[in-house]
Amino acid sequence: MTAAAPRRRILVAMSGGVDSSVAAALLVEAGHEVIGATMKTFCYGDEEEAASSRTCCGLDGIRDARAVADALGIPHYVFDVEREFTRDVIDDFVSEYGRGRTPNPCVRCNSNTKFRDLMRRGRVLNCDGIASGHYVRLERAGGTVRLLRGADRAKDQSYFLWGLPRELLDRLRFPLGGLAKPEVRARARALGLVTAAKPESQEICFVPTGNYRDFLARRLPTAHSALSPGPVVNARGRVLGRHDGYAGFTVGQRRGFGGGLPEPHYVIEIRPSTREVVIGPRRLLEANGLELEELNWLADPPPPGTLLGVQIRYRAPPLRCRLEAVGSGFARLSFPESARAATPGQSGVLFAGDQLLGGGRIRRVTSADPPIRQSRAASVPAPSPATPEGRPSPSRTGRRASPPG
Amino acid sequence: MPYPPAPIYLDHAATTPLRPEVAEVMAECARRDFGNPSSAHRWGRAARARLESARRSVAASLGAPSARVVFTRGGTESDNLAVLGTARRRLAEGNRAHIVLSAVEHPAVAAAAQQARREGARVTTVGFAAGAFDLDQFRDALADGPCLASCMWVNNETGTVLPIARIAELCRDRGVPLHSDAVQAVGKVPVSLADAPVDLLTVTGHKTGGPRGTGALVARGRTEIAPLHFGGGQEGGIRPGTEDVAGAAGLAMALELAIAERAAEAERLASLRDAVERRLLAGQRRLRVHGASLPRAPHILSLGIPGADPDTLLAALDGLGIAASAGSACASGSRAPSSAIAALHPNDDAASLRLSFGPTNGTRQLDRIVEAVSEAVRRARALSRP
Repeated sequence: MTAAAPRRRILVAMSGGVDSSVAAALLVEAGHEVIGATMKTFCYGDEEEAASSRTCCGLDGIRDARAVADALGIPHYVFDVEREFTRDVIDDFVSEYGRGRTPNPCVRCNSNTKFRDLMRRGRVLNCDGIASGHYVRLERAGGTVRLLRGADRAKDQSYFLWGLPRELLDRLRFPLGGLAKPEVRARARALGLVTAAKPESQEICFVPTGNYRDFLARRLPTAHSALSPGPVVNARGRVLGRHDGYAGFTVGQRRGFGGGLPEPHYVIEIRPSTREVVIGPRRLLEANGLELEELNWLADPPPPGTLLGVQIRYRAPPLRCRLEAVGSGFARLSFPESARAATPGQSGVLFAGDQLLGGGRIRRVTSADPPIRQSRAASVPAPSPATPEGRPSPSRTGRRASPPG
Repeated sequence: MPYPPAPIYLDHAATTPLRPEVAEVMAECARRDFGNPSSAHRWGRAARARLESARRSVAASLGAPSARVVFTRGGTESDNLAVLGTARRRLAEGNRAHIVLSAVEHPAVAAAAQQARREGARVTTVGFAAGAFDLDQFRDALADGPCLASCMWVNNETGTVLPIARIAELCRDRGVPLHSDAVQAVGKVPVSLADAPVDLLTVTGHKTGGPRGTGALVARGRTEIAPLHFGGGQEGGIRPGTEDVAGAAGLAMALELAIAERAAEAERLASLRDAVERRLLAGQRRLRVHGASLPRAPHILSLGIPGADPDTLLAALDGLGIAASAGSACASGSRAPSSAIAALHPNDDAASLRLSFGPTNGTRQLDRIVEAVSEAVRRARALSRP
């Protein structure tokens, strides 16, 4: 027990995984009054994949979280947030694919469900703060709170947290921020927690099979254009083939389309109105900037002209960028060096050094290349939605884009 | 110290503390008469004597001294035996099996019926009409001679008492065997097979100060039940396995005591429950008592609380030192509408809260109960307002 730290009542989000289990244990060790909470986000009973709920949000997660809470001697409650999660995460996931974009559901969950909805419940329980097992650090100094990358760079999860409501920062605790994953597992083993050897979650929690085409088919209106056949065209509009629904494509993904093309081709644009999937050589993915929407700041916005880093994929190094313009919920960035940019719908996360400044959703990527009308995007490799544990889920098509070289 | 001092247990419908005298009898039984009742030697005889005395006691307590008592490992097992065991017996003999049950049955009955359906039985569910069990529909469902009807005596979520005497009469007229889960009824309302001609009755120990993991299926007349377990011939082959003699003795004693104390205890609990109910209704807007217009067992107060988040309500109550439950303690983390409450209030998404009273409660707790529940309701309603 740290002598200096005042004792607080803290609500810990416990998924039933090893990270949040250890986070709870560390807070108990620090002498706090800890209450465990598991959010029930999704009813697997409705889905065919009901049987395989091995992921963090499944019923076995609730059971494991409860077992860990019991072992720690703390209360544990299950909060049903299905309605909120469906509204904020699943509906968005479906509509983004419907629009030909590639969503980031884990970001949406962190921005809305995991902290905001949990904090509302924490207030009811008179909690001073909420905690999670994310690998990020908080630095409190002079009345301001800065969110920093986790000490374990391989596990750093700051990318997923850009959408946190800023006013919550002061109430948050991330006990694992200074630890490395092996230390966390060792702690869990030392404490004898049932979750010590639990594998990392791999898939999007509400699509445990990884087959989200089926998931979309159950939720989009019948014969939605995202799941209907359409043409594959090149940048000049020549039809090269057919596809069976643009929801199966991600901008930046390398695709063969039956071969016969002289050089590797990538998805460079998806046009929902005509159901066209545009492919082209890699140079068409080069970008000189991007625009972010739904912008959220976790620090005071820097003035235009500031050089920042923007991370456009989980586990990718940030790209150097210049903040060109900032509006309400909007920012425009330029890349001093040409960059292979991102996929519309994915996150653009802004950093100054290790500090997470904020982020937004990529609305469009600006390209200097004229042949593409209304250029929407350019990117390599295809960022299929990454899970919070960091491994990108398998590509919907089973074929992944090659790394940028 | 996570809770304020002296937390109050208001979850007696989930389970109750063991009565000290029951604990004593069980300990003595397990220590001294530990033999296997199937053995011929003196230890076996002593254990058998205990077991058979418990059996006679259970039958007598339930007003049917000549009834057959099959000891089981609890209420769920008794319900499963009655429903699935009956269906399997019929199906095994090459007959059609039709089971009629009320829409408010405990999952131990409802899920057993679902399993029977998967195995080829037909299942008819009878709901509520105009706020009461639909006896007309029930009568119609009996027309083609089902092999079993199953209606609980007291609902575990709302505490409402089903019209068992009427139901039993209808079944007798049609020659349909009737099973009733009386787990929440024993010791709370008069349960006597002498008054209501029920053929199969489920009872359990732990709702009335007896041991958990003990139950019985009490059968009048012939039982046409296929076993769900296989092994030795214990309990007439219906529930094989070495008998839990101490458990049976504990169960018998708990039932006997609960039934002997029933009249006085029911009155005490009803007056406490009514006082809590009155004060909560007076102090809170838009609060509803489930089954208010129906006969209710004295120990359950089931509230409908519109505009409150149910999980938070319970968590807040726990934090305030009150142990209660949502509809029932069985479905963890599920906001699926409760069948019992949906039967009374269709299309209603109010949070439900079950306060269930018992031996650990008294009028001295009244103020704290009312204050804590009001406070938790206020907070849980604040959450639902965005």
